[in-house]
Amino acid sequence: MPDSDNESGGPSNAGEYASAREQDRFLPIANVSRIMKRALPANAKISKDAKETVQECVSEFISFITGEASDKCQREKRKTINGDDLLWAMTTLGFEDYIDPLKLYLHKFRELEGEKAIGAAGSGGGGAASSGGSGSGSGSHHHQDASRNNGGYGMYGGGGGMIMMMGQPMYGSPPASSAGYAQPPPPHHHHHQMVMGGKGAYGHGGGGGGGPSPSSGYGRQDRL
Amino acid sequence: MEPSSQPQPAIGVVAGGSQVYPAYRPAATVPTAPAVIPAGSQPAPSFPANPDQLSAQHQLVYQQAQQFHQQLQQQQQRQLQQFWAERLVDIEQTTDFKNHSLPLARIKKIMKADEDVRMISAEAPVIFAKACEIFILELTLRSWMHTEENKRRTLQKNDIAAAITRTDMYDFLVDIVPRDDLKEEGVGLPRAGLPPLGVPADSYPYGYYVPQQQVPGAGIAYGGQQGHPGYLWQDPQEQQEEPPAEQQSD
Repeated sequence: MPDSDNESGGPSNAGEYASAREQDRFLPIANVSRIMKRALPANAKISKDAKETVQECVSEFISFITGEASDKCQREKRKTINGDDLLWAMTTLGFEDYIDPLKLYLHKFRELEGEKAIGAAGSGGGGAASSGGSGSGSGSHHHQDASRNNGGYGMYGGGGGMIMMMGQPMYGSPPASSAGYAQPPPPHHHHHQMVMGGKGAYGHGGGGGGGPSPSSGYGRQDRL
Repeated sequence: MEPSSQPQPAIGVVAGGSQVYPAYRPAATVPTAPAVIPAGSQPAPSFPANPDQLSAQHQLVYQQAQQFHQQLQQQQQRQLQQFWAERLVDIEQTTDFKNHSLPLARIKKIMKADEDVRMISAEAPVIFAKACEIFILELTLRSWMHTEENKRRTLQKNDIAAAITRTDMYDFLVDIVPRDDLKEEGVGLPRAGLPPLGVPADSYPYGYYVPQQQVPGAGIAYGGQQGHPGYLWQDPQEQQEEPPAEQQSD
């Protein structure tokens, strides 16, 4: 499959081997802190232990979603986790609100990658691996090894995306039931829900379908 | 009738909610009037009582507290709706996919920590970069709601613990925050209640509950059932931390 990439490690990281290094288990605290500040008023402060706690929460989030997506791939005898698997896993695990923004994001990403794949540009795809280089707002493009490597499989990723879009519709055969919590989360904590969601797990279809019914005071008026 | 001359502590609590804090940087147009519950003075007695057995005065305090909580929840719901609208606008305006707010290589390494994960498509870390950004923003926003309720300006670990306990979506995170943090500043638990008042305790530990958007019916049930907390659920973890003298029951 052209969309697979089994490499590991970031070229700009000191330790290129996937190891149990403490720092490698979390996203950089500077990036996490910067994002946190965007959600807060200007005069708000964030304690260091709060930043570290969010670091742990994000890694747990990645592992949580990845585990569910990986299980689905194994059931379907596929080897590569793709973007749609992640979106499906998020829906299954209660992150329905994330689907609309992420589908939009993925759609734009695939469009861009498709164009670059045609142009055979070598600098498309993922961003820099170092925390310094991943600062947002930077308009200049870097042609480091990391960029070239990312560009390489960025092209493949675009191709894979196109194949997937042609091959099967999104959520063409959803095994989950209509309830948002058809599958319980991993055993470290069982889920509580007093009222099962009235909408289907795939009510967020980008092309339309049944939207959530508005409720007094809690309607989804934020949907564009 | 609400006689304003009555020296009710709950009135003080409600009055505290009128404080205005500076608007959020990314949401300057959102009216921010967060409700404030002074730490250590929450009107939540440790013993349950039947609402029908309350005196008129106690019923008045109870109703005021209910209104207070409803306003708080509605305000927080508006903040979350604004949050999601902003996410879509952010992504609509995205043109640069080369610079992500989070390093893709590190995301990939975390994904591969799972031995069952074999191959990852190139778009997966890209999606996760955006998903994690949304995750951090929402978790921080929900945590900040607790910071404001406690009249602080510094977001602390126990605020994150509070957001985790209040939000079903974050159940998978309960092991990350120590149990001690779950007990601080009345996180889901009554603190320094008003002993003479017979307000049902089982309606206050969940005063901070934010109805999930995926279960809109729950919000309706809660809002329309004043004095009848039959639709509230108890988290076994919170149940273990209840005051030992009383056992909560719905």
